[in-house]
Amino acid sequence: MNASAVHDPSTLPSDDNVNPYTFCVDLKGSRWFLQKGKMIAYYGDVSFQGVGHGALDRLVRTSFHSPMHAGDWVVAEGSGKMLLADRAFDVNSYDLDEGNLTVRSGNLLAFEPSLSLKQSIVPGFLTLIGTGTFVAASNGPVVFMEPPIRVDPQALVGWADCPSPCHHYDHAYLSGVLGGLRALTGIGGASGEEHQFEFVGAGTVLLQSSEALLPERGTGTVPHEPGVPGGGAPHPGHGSGQGSHGSAPRLPGQLGDLQRRFGL
Amino acid sequence: MPFREINSKVVEATVAPGQRMFSQRGAMLAYRGDVTFTPNTAGGQGGVMAMLGRRAAGEAAPLMTVEGEGTVLFGHGGHHVQVIRLAGDTLYVEADRLLAFDGSLEQGTMFMGAQGGVMGMVRGQVTGQGLFTTTLKGHGAVAVMAHGGVLELPVTPERPVHVDPQAYVAHHGDVRNRLSTALGWRDMVGRGSGEAFQLELSGSGAVYVQASEEKL
Amino acid sequence: MPRVRIPPAELSSPPPAGYRRPVATFRLQGSKVLAVDVTGDAVRAKNGSMVAYEGRMAFKKMSGGGEGLRGMVTRRLTGEQMEVMEVRGQGTCYFADRASDVTVLALHGDKLCVEASNLLCSDGGLRTGTTFTGLRGGAGGTGLFTTTVEGSGQVAITSDGPAVVLRVTPRYPLSVDPGAYVAHQGDLRQSFQSGVTFRTLLGEGGGEAFQIRFEGDGLVYVQPSERNTVGGDV
Repeated sequence: MNASAVHDPSTLPSDDNVNPYTFCVDLKGSRWFLQKGKMIAYYGDVSFQGVGHGALDRLVRTSFHSPMHAGDWVVAEGSGKMLLADRAFDVNSYDLDEGNLTVRSGNLLAFEPSLSLKQSIVPGFLTLIGTGTFVAASNGPVVFMEPPIRVDPQALVGWADCPSPCHHYDHAYLSGVLGGLRALTGIGGASGEEHQFEFVGAGTVLLQSSEALLPERGTGTVPHEPGVPGGGAPHPGHGSGQGSHGSAPRLPGQLGDLQRRFGL
Repeated sequence: MPFREINSKVVEATVAPGQRMFSQRGAMLAYRGDVTFTPNTAGGQGGVMAMLGRRAAGEAAPLMTVEGEGTVLFGHGGHHVQVIRLAGDTLYVEADRLLAFDGSLEQGTMFMGAQGGVMGMVRGQVTGQGLFTTTLKGHGAVAVMAHGGVLELPVTPERPVHVDPQAYVAHHGDVRNRLSTALGWRDMVGRGSGEAFQLELSGSGAVYVQASEEKL
Repeated sequence: MPRVRIPPAELSSPPPAGYRRPVATFRLQGSKVLAVDVTGDAVRAKNGSMVAYEGRMAFKKMSGGGEGLRGMVTRRLTGEQMEVMEVRGQGTCYFADRASDVTVLALHGDKLCVEASNLLCSDGGLRTGTTFTGLRGGAGGTGLFTTTVEGSGQVAITSDGPAVVLRVTPRYPLSVDPGAYVAHQGDLRQSFQSGVTFRTLLGEGGGEAFQIRFEGDGLVYVQPSERNTVGGDV
């Protein structure tokens, strides 16, 4: 009973999903920006170069505008088929046509250089502008909703065409009788729902099941075990989207992964 | 109050005036309309005394009362969500697996130990989820979380089902549960197969099992 | 998704005709639960992976992966630890492991190499062992050795998300991220390949990531997720 289909380069789809969790990029001498840690396998002749690499200077200048995340991205070029996946999350491709979409940085897998990547004003989110395809992951299938809507921050994957979200606090709860009673008795506790992102206006909001139990890992950390240099050193989770933007951006010229691996 | 399954991990509930529902704290993903989320000081029905009773029982599920008018999306931690519809019967479920349920359902707690005797207490130790299980009775729908999807196994008088206590999610119907040991004591001490205790369910009804041994 | 209701009639499906000795039949209940029908015979399963059963079942822990004293010593030395139990009885047993997806495959005298942690269940008639994989160190922290399954019968392997099966031919070699590798079968050679050069604007070397390159003829199973690896990420 070989239930799963066997794939080879001729049967793999071209720029489409292999299954809900795996996406296949067809490189034909073209280039794709790729977040580190999201490529699982490839056929063919593909090379990967860090975003800081000199030969890519022009490409980076036109398409990549996020020094904060430069250390997390590589450029794949060559010809072949490349499989992308992320934490067994659902993976979808999105086509933008002179549009913009903002997405949680950890959930963005790859994008075509015809799009331009910028950091969103909302910490932990990246905005893609222009025309082209990008690939993003979500915990469970993406749920598309129209504003007006209030969203739990953890459940937010991204949004398209909306004005930036604002914070919504349930002040009736904060200052109300219940708050006082809770402080006095300790009974009840917080509802956990007194803060949301609020979206209004025209656009689309993308939601996922919250990922509280699947913490994002910083790319490039080494397993915590004896004998592994730098093992378990808490690496500030860049791009986790949970407001962990205190981490210093990894500048070009820093040793990056190698540095961390040997505990420099 | 209907739950609409949007996908395997998200359900949508419609809240209307006069109809309230309860949800686990932190289970709301998004909402639209005029909906309030209130921490449940009264512990659902039964007032403060029932709440204190529940706290003493260790089955203190941090619930919220959801009221108002609008639609709410529920989901949590990327867990699979299973909607179970009750038509007058009783559902037994571990409190921390409850995602949301109709306010019209009658809540209670059951002391599993009373039913299972000494082994029931062992069961509490094995699952680490206390000896008390939440019961929900009446007509309505319950959204239950499970790690990796739910398998519904029917229990019939001639076909009892054995379940790993860690994979047990919920059961309903006229089902007796009993903790059994499939092994001699020798196998239990030090060199167990990892299946030292099993929950035996017999009677008629159904048991829900998740595809994982992880607690929530 | 894996929300499956089983009609009672299906619970005791008879084993397929044509088998001479009682052979356990493996089938999937949804994508994450493996159901095994046994009629007096035994299967080997990952310790603690039973979630439910019907009928009579006995569970017995096997030391050293059920490979006897020699296997026990080998496994201790190689670090390819495997906790296995033998399940014997009559009825249906359900297995699952941390909500991972299950792939069932049949072996016809060939050999499957799989990470020990990804082997969920194998037919009692199959032989398991350890083998030296060469340079594929650092994959999932499992070291230089991997578990092999040989013989004829059914095997169930787990993966974080449904496994993608990729064919390797002499014309189409394949590169796999060590963290996404699950298993392979067939006549394959593997080598370490450095994939990325993170040269920076200043021309310094900045760390490298590695892939496993498979060449030859066979199948490779990859999962849509990555374990942490020492080899680095692409």
